[in-house]
Amino acid sequence: MNWLSRIFHRRSLSSELAEEMQLHLEERAEQLMGEGLSRGEAEQAARRAFGNRTILEERSREVWQWPTVESIWADVRYALRQLRKSPGFSMTVILSLTLGLGATTTIFTFVNALLLRPPAVADAGHLVEVMEHNAKASGIEAYMPFSYPGYALIRDHNHTLSGFAAFDGDPRTVSWSHDGRGQMVFGQLVSSNFFSVLGVEPSIGRFFRDEEDKGGPGSPTAVISYSFWQRQLAADRSVLGRTLVFNGASYTVVGVAPPSFTGILIGSRPDFWAPLTMTPTLIHDPARMGSDTSFWLFGIGRLKPGVFKNEAQADLTVLTRSTHSSDPNGAVMDASAFPIQLVPGPFRGYVAAFTGLLMAAVGLVLLIACANAANLVLARATTRRRELAVRSALGASRFRIIRQALTESLLLSMMGGAGGLLVAYWSIPALLNLKPATIPISVEAPLDWRVFAFAFLASLLSGIAFGVIPALRSTRRDLLPALKDERQVAGPRRSGLRNSIVVAQITVCLVLLISAGLCVRSLFNARSIDPGFSTHNIAVAQFDPGSLGYTETQDSQFYQQLLERVRALPGVSSASLSDYLPLGTSRSLQGVQIDGFAPPPGQDSIHVQVAYIAPDFFKTMGIPVLNGRDFSPEDSQPGWHGLIINQAMANHFWPGRNPIGLHLKVDKEPMEIVGVVKTGKYRSLGEEPLDFMYRQMGSESQEYLVVRTGGGEEAVLGEVRGVIQSLDPNVVPMEMESIGQYMALPLFAAHTTGVLLAVFGSMALLLATIGLSGVVSYSVSQRTNEIGVRMALGADRFDVVRLIVKQGMRLTGIGIVLGLALSFAATRVLAGLLYGITPGDPLTFAAVSLFLGAVAFISCYVPAHRAASIDPMKSLRAE
Amino acid sequence: MMILESLRRQPAHGYALVQHIQQRSNNLLQVEEGSLYPALQRLLKAKLVRADWGVSATNRRVRTYQITAAGRRHLEQEISSFERMFAGITLVLNPGKPAAN
Repeated sequence: MNWLSRIFHRRSLSSELAEEMQLHLEERAEQLMGEGLSRGEAEQAARRAFGNRTILEERSREVWQWPTVESIWADVRYALRQLRKSPGFSMTVILSLTLGLGATTTIFTFVNALLLRPPAVADAGHLVEVMEHNAKASGIEAYMPFSYPGYALIRDHNHTLSGFAAFDGDPRTVSWSHDGRGQMVFGQLVSSNFFSVLGVEPSIGRFFRDEEDKGGPGSPTAVISYSFWQRQLAADRSVLGRTLVFNGASYTVVGVAPPSFTGILIGSRPDFWAPLTMTPTLIHDPARMGSDTSFWLFGIGRLKPGVFKNEAQADLTVLTRSTHSSDPNGAVMDASAFPIQLVPGPFRGYVAAFTGLLMAAVGLVLLIACANAANLVLARATTRRRELAVRSALGASRFRIIRQALTESLLLSMMGGAGGLLVAYWSIPALLNLKPATIPISVEAPLDWRVFAFAFLASLLSGIAFGVIPALRSTRRDLLPALKDERQVAGPRRSGLRNSIVVAQITVCLVLLISAGLCVRSLFNARSIDPGFSTHNIAVAQFDPGSLGYTETQDSQFYQQLLERVRALPGVSSASLSDYLPLGTSRSLQGVQIDGFAPPPGQDSIHVQVAYIAPDFFKTMGIPVLNGRDFSPEDSQPGWHGLIINQAMANHFWPGRNPIGLHLKVDKEPMEIVGVVKTGKYRSLGEEPLDFMYRQMGSESQEYLVVRTGGGEEAVLGEVRGVIQSLDPNVVPMEMESIGQYMALPLFAAHTTGVLLAVFGSMALLLATIGLSGVVSYSVSQRTNEIGVRMALGADRFDVVRLIVKQGMRLTGIGIVLGLALSFAATRVLAGLLYGITPGDPLTFAAVSLFLGAVAFISCYVPAHRAASIDPMKSLRAE
Repeated sequence: MMILESLRRQPAHGYALVQHIQQRSNNLLQVEEGSLYPALQRLLKAKLVRADWGVSATNRRVRTYQITAAGRRHLEQEISSFERMFAGITLVLNPGKPAAN
């Protein structure tokens, strides 16, 4: 009899045993009858001699059982029956947990995507990411990528790495010319040993060879990503050897990366990789490879066997220091090695702080959900006292009953966890949509095994958390009163635990709501901050025809024609160009020399942020010109240049004076101030006024086109696209968006935190409301008798309502006081995310407390009202 | 061990086994008769005995147990180890007398 047939023949096994034992008893009885006993006496004696038949049968069966598994399975089946019997209770617990676990799993999915998921490389444990680190600086600014000569030195002279590769940290927007048009794709420049150091194997074809790094740009090669191959090239296997035109140069495809490999930096998903030797061709920067002052390469080293990270770091530090020994600033550059991660080492702290904040918020939501579940289970345990008492009277051990109770709560929490995974599955795409579509990064947040493991563990822990205390409590009491069906008055001691759970819920809920309130108000503040330019009716597009190999003359011709044609479009009131948009990610500073102002020590000039603009920029952007005028074509002549400054700079250097007509030197060129414009926000919405100046546009290749419309930016952008097509179909606008979409980026952090915390806060409120009204309803049901007596003795409905509501509101009050105290401490961590509001904002604290109090009142009043409608006669008769 | 020993002499069904053991031990061993059955199930599981349904002399459906080859081996080992233990106990209780074997 094998185990499978044993399971299926379990029934026949029991019946066989029963038959056998029955036979035994009959034979014994017959024999005793033969010895002269009556039938009745004989049967009794036989049974006595045989022993407890039920236990013996059970023990015989147990021989065949897989004992623990089978009894657990029995527990599970029993638990399922119990849960089905009270669907309201089960659904409330499961839904509470689904909310809590769903939120937690969702946020964990992001933590996993950003911080835990390793890049798809071989033996990541022996790979290190290397950056230069300025020992004298602090924070993220201290870390720097390598220059090419710096990288090459380490590659050739280190003693601790078996291979040292490098990649360009910026994803390059590249125009891919095919079928007579251009298309925007992402390219990444990598050293020829990039793939071999990472230990990645190509899907088809090969990766780069060493000589492709050494020689000049002979015959350029490229490796394409698997998804690019699938999406754009129809997974054609004959792609190997084909030529693709990127930024005007031809590349021969030599290989396709494996599907799992999407680069090793979070957010950047290159469509193709090209060897570093192609740098001059791909990004039109011929000097970069030889420059020891351009820092742009991230290093990746594979440790030699037996070498530890710290040894490698020491070895590389010697080399980096030697490259910087002639640095006039005397910066001491060490090498810093980090374990390889999708988010590079120095940035992990920031990402961890942000996701940690969200994790803490959802953790609180989960806590409230667990508290709800615990409360419901406690309440139910009380109604099931009789059942438990009967079971222990029949001989169930305390352990067995606790195990049964835990099985039930684990079953509930596992269902909640499964629901939570569904919630995560649906909410992750929605959350990814919070990211402005125009940020050129793609984040993946896959539900991989880590997420499943996390959801399982979180469910397990929640199940134990909310199950174990009710289980212990419900098995502690005497059996007799329960068996005698004695009604117990809900005394203060008995409800103490439930009450403290509710107080804790209110406390945590208030902390979450106050945090959410602060973030939402901060979001509105941020939206209402005047950035100094109009945030409506402006369309923005960014171009870089230089990437197609345009010369300076071709560049200016292109832009000149573009401006003329766009200005002529219907619905366009003005258009201009600028190499910079306020609140963008780039910035450039220039040295300014002003008579009467000494530069800061150690520098030869004062540095002020600068932008190069075409005429009509201020009109188009809605920036008021306060004094003087906008640029005109005559302002740029050899030996004389006009300059426009902002009000902050005018106040800074020439307080109380009219700066128009004054002279100064910018970048050692003489300039005359021709206008003053309103001060705006340049780096972040929260900044203090910054000095800023505008120069007349020269021949920059990369420009923003800004277009003022009468409305309907989308339509205008479509027209602009048509204009570009007719000018040069290979030019690809890197970004095309309305100013509203553009503003999504500076508001991103505030927006995301605001939305998420508002969602979590509402969930917490919902859960706490359920918890509170649950406890109040329960106490009403326990006190039906008492209420009946009171009413019979003359209490009116209002007295009853007051009695019940008072009880609930007392708990709420305690919770709110504790919550306020805790919030003062907790909201400090939010300080960095808030605009125009202090973490201890009294208005938010007061308003949220009142709001929570009001919601709590309603959730007490409803059951209280029901209690007051009790017919006293009925409730007394129920006794 | 007693069950195996009884079964080695002849196959039997449950009640017959109890009878046999009680007679052989001159009713010195008083145990619950029913405890035979869990023991039989353990032996069945360990494949030391085999069970077949048959019809008894009194024309009842009975399950008859038979010792298997593995059961015989097991029994011999058990007996010899039991005898060793018994010899040891005897030595300790009667230190003057050498053990019987």
